[in-house]
Amino acid sequence: MKRQLSTISAITLLLILSGCGSSLIIENVDYAQPLESVLVPDSNNEVHDQRYALRFTISGILLREGVEGVQEIRLIRDQAGLYYLTAAGFSSVYQFTPEQGSLKLMNRIAIPGDVLQQPAFNQRGSYIELVDTSNGRTFNLSEV
Amino acid sequence: MNIKKRSPRIRLLLLSFFTLLSGLSVHAQTSDFQLLENFNNDFHRISTEIDQVIDMGALREIELEISSFESRYSDHRTLITAALYPVTFEERVNSLRDRIMVKNQSLSVVDQLNSRIEGLIAETDLFRSRINQLNSEISTLQQNIERSSASESRQAALIRQYRQNLESRDLFVADFLEELINRYQNMDSAERSELSVAADRLQDNPVEILKSIISDYIELSNNRSGLSLPDYVSMRAQHGYFSDVWSRIGEQLTRTFETERSRQARTEIDNMLAAWLASVDNNVWSLLQQEFYDRSIRLSPFTNSSELNRSLHEYIDAAYEISLESNREEDYGKYRNFSDFWNTTVKANWGDLIIAGNILTHSDIAAVDVKLSSWGEAAAPISNLMFILLIVSIAVIVGLVVLLVTRKS
Repeated sequence: MKRQLSTISAITLLLILSGCGSSLIIENVDYAQPLESVLVPDSNNEVHDQRYALRFTISGILLREGVEGVQEIRLIRDQAGLYYLTAAGFSSVYQFTPEQGSLKLMNRIAIPGDVLQQPAFNQRGSYIELVDTSNGRTFNLSEV
Repeated sequence: MNIKKRSPRIRLLLLSFFTLLSGLSVHAQTSDFQLLENFNNDFHRISTEIDQVIDMGALREIELEISSFESRYSDHRTLITAALYPVTFEERVNSLRDRIMVKNQSLSVVDQLNSRIEGLIAETDLFRSRINQLNSEISTLQQNIERSSASESRQAALIRQYRQNLESRDLFVADFLEELINRYQNMDSAERSELSVAADRLQDNPVEILKSIISDYIELSNNRSGLSLPDYVSMRAQHGYFSDVWSRIGEQLTRTFETERSRQARTEIDNMLAAWLASVDNNVWSLLQQEFYDRSIRLSPFTNSSELNRSLHEYIDAAYEISLESNREEDYGKYRNFSDFWNTTVKANWGDLIIAGNILTHSDIAAVDVKLSSWGEAAAPISNLMFILLIVSIAVIVGLVVLLVTRKS
């Protein structure tokens, strides 16, 4: 009897401890930005999105893209929370995932054909659309 | 875009062009960001049009443009609302409609004001044309009077006509001044500020017209051909009326129609009024002195009302003293001469003008009348008949007494 009582107590304690843990997860969060942000880099190649409170430098991206500078960058966030970044003169779209104090490159999506002339992102819910408005080329970035 | 001065047809074409252009951009563009840019540009363009519109017709067109703007972007209202947060698409469109309503009210006021201004312009044009006509007639008459010096009867007729013309002009100006008083004396500050906004559209504002009238009067007063004392006394009366009107509405008028330089405009008219009075007085006092002189009444010189009054009293007082002392027929003749001129000419012919023109007041005239009466009593020669009758009576009595005494004895 005493042994059975100890077992019940141990199970109860385990249940209580598991309930007090920090592993709460909110599912189905929609991070989607309805409209892309068009950001102008300062002299230090830093961009600041005041609406979504985001500031970072694009020097590393410019280095990857092999260009010295850009007049503006286009930035949008999809439902999953991934950031998409590109600019006129780029041949790729950079997909980042936010981490603590950083943006980590997840994927460099190479755009087929010529470099982008006048790129623009559109939020399409399940995917992000890339348009080169100079020539009307349109890409579903989840399929490129 | 400034559409306020364009013709309705051009405005309609421009409106159609922008609608077509925006419509194309909505359908042809494939960037949501660009769509929002277009939305904001269209919104600001319409806002500017509302700010600048100045007539109801153009406002109606902008109302149509807002409806077109709304329908053009209504398919993207969710995107636009998300992008505009915390403002919504509907709030943006409604804000334009609210501003249209406010503008509609203010344009209604402007329309009313425009009607008033147009009425004012028509009145001033009419006045200007009538006064020019009268001035032209006066000028022609003056020339004719100068040319017809050979024929006295013709000259007299022309002078009569000239005076009638001046009287018509005075009456017309008086009517105009009366109209100004009715219109502006009780005007409140709101009306004044509304009128002053539109006053720059008046080619001839009331202040300018007043200046022009005074200038004409000064010229008329300086040109002496054909004018006599009553004409100048009449001008003095007109000046008095003019000054009275100016003191009542001058400030209102200048603050309405000369907003930038109201004080300066008031000073200008004050100076012109002073110059007009000086010119009239220059003629009035010398001609009045001459009128007395022509009737052998030697008054001491005078150049204003109080001096004239003093001069009249001095003359009567001196004559009265002489009449008391000597009581000669000659003194009585002097009295009759003065009394005749005073009663039949000064009081009967010029009385109203003299009072209206501030030459003498009622009490001044009454005081002269009282003294004149005393002078008349003093100057009237005493008759010898009573003395003769007394002597004869005494002689008769003495004769009778002598007769009685001689009969008794």
